[in-house]
Amino acid sequence: MSMPGFLLAAEHTPVAAAMRGELGWEWLFPIVETLHVISLAMVFGSIVMVDLRLAGATSRNSAVSRLSGEVLPYTWGAFICAVVTGALLFVSKAHVYFFNLQFQLKFLCMFLAGVNMAVFHFGAYRQVLVWDERHPPPRAARLAGALSIALWIGVIFFGRWIGFTT
Amino acid sequence: MLRITHHWANWIASTALSGWLQNEAWVVPTSQSIHIVSVSVVFCCAVMIDLRLLGLSASGRSVSQLVDTLVPWMYRALVVLLLTGLVQTVAEPVRQFVAPVFWWKMLLIIGVLALTVCFARAVRRNAAKWDTPTRPAGAKWFALISLGLWAGIIFCGRFIGYTWELYL
Repeated sequence: MSMPGFLLAAEHTPVAAAMRGELGWEWLFPIVETLHVISLAMVFGSIVMVDLRLAGATSRNSAVSRLSGEVLPYTWGAFICAVVTGALLFVSKAHVYFFNLQFQLKFLCMFLAGVNMAVFHFGAYRQVLVWDERHPPPRAARLAGALSIALWIGVIFFGRWIGFTT
Repeated sequence: MLRITHHWANWIASTALSGWLQNEAWVVPTSQSIHIVSVSVVFCCAVMIDLRLLGLSASGRSVSQLVDTLVPWMYRALVVLLLTGLVQTVAEPVRQFVAPVFWWKMLLIIGVLALTVCFARAVRRNAAKWDTPTRPAGAKWFALISLGLWAGIIFCGRFIGYTWELYL
């Protein structure tokens, strides 16, 4: 099936109809959207906490690996909730969102944030116990942290912008 | 009550500042995005402290350590939330003032702020008492109420946009 065909098929599901507010489900979209905001707040807040530490800006008395081990369960749990709520929002007007510039830029930022995390995780982070409590952290960590914050702010900005352009 | 707020909203909307904020198309979306970034900071800090108080998160930093590290960030983010909230309200006063959920949101914010300040003070005054596994009796209630209030504030905030036109 072609992409537009797949999108239209998604829009014709009962879930998508409910998300559009049809058949008395008017408040479903606002509720799911708010749950999406709550999820993304946890994703962003937790990521920024680790990123500021990587950048050497905060929590300098906490070892990177320990802070990261404490925070990452929140990040992953919240990310899963964000994906589920995001998918529900998406199917309500799948083809509109898919071809929306801000939507595409949001996912580009998320993709780049993921690449940045992977590069750091399989690179400098592998020797984290060496520089866990060093001040300032190594350049690779500071760069990864700063880039990550910038990209996730981008995800929030473009995400909010979708609402103004669809 | 809503007629009085409607009158004040129209007055603010007639000012030059409000006009400028409305006409610069980037102002409200940018302010809202900064608002969401700040919401994330406040909410994440609150959740981390509250889940610890409820015994639902892995050990790591103690309660007093979490409070010392995170509560100042909550206060800083709340200042940014106030400033961006002011920008958004001056830009679109009618939208905010006619919606009952906006006023509920303000009430909930005052409530959770008062609770948080009292809690932080109690922890600072007697850290040892809060760092033991058997915490003060009110700890779990504070955590549940705090979580409920913050989530409620986020719901109210989002629902301003969805309900204000019903009250015009």
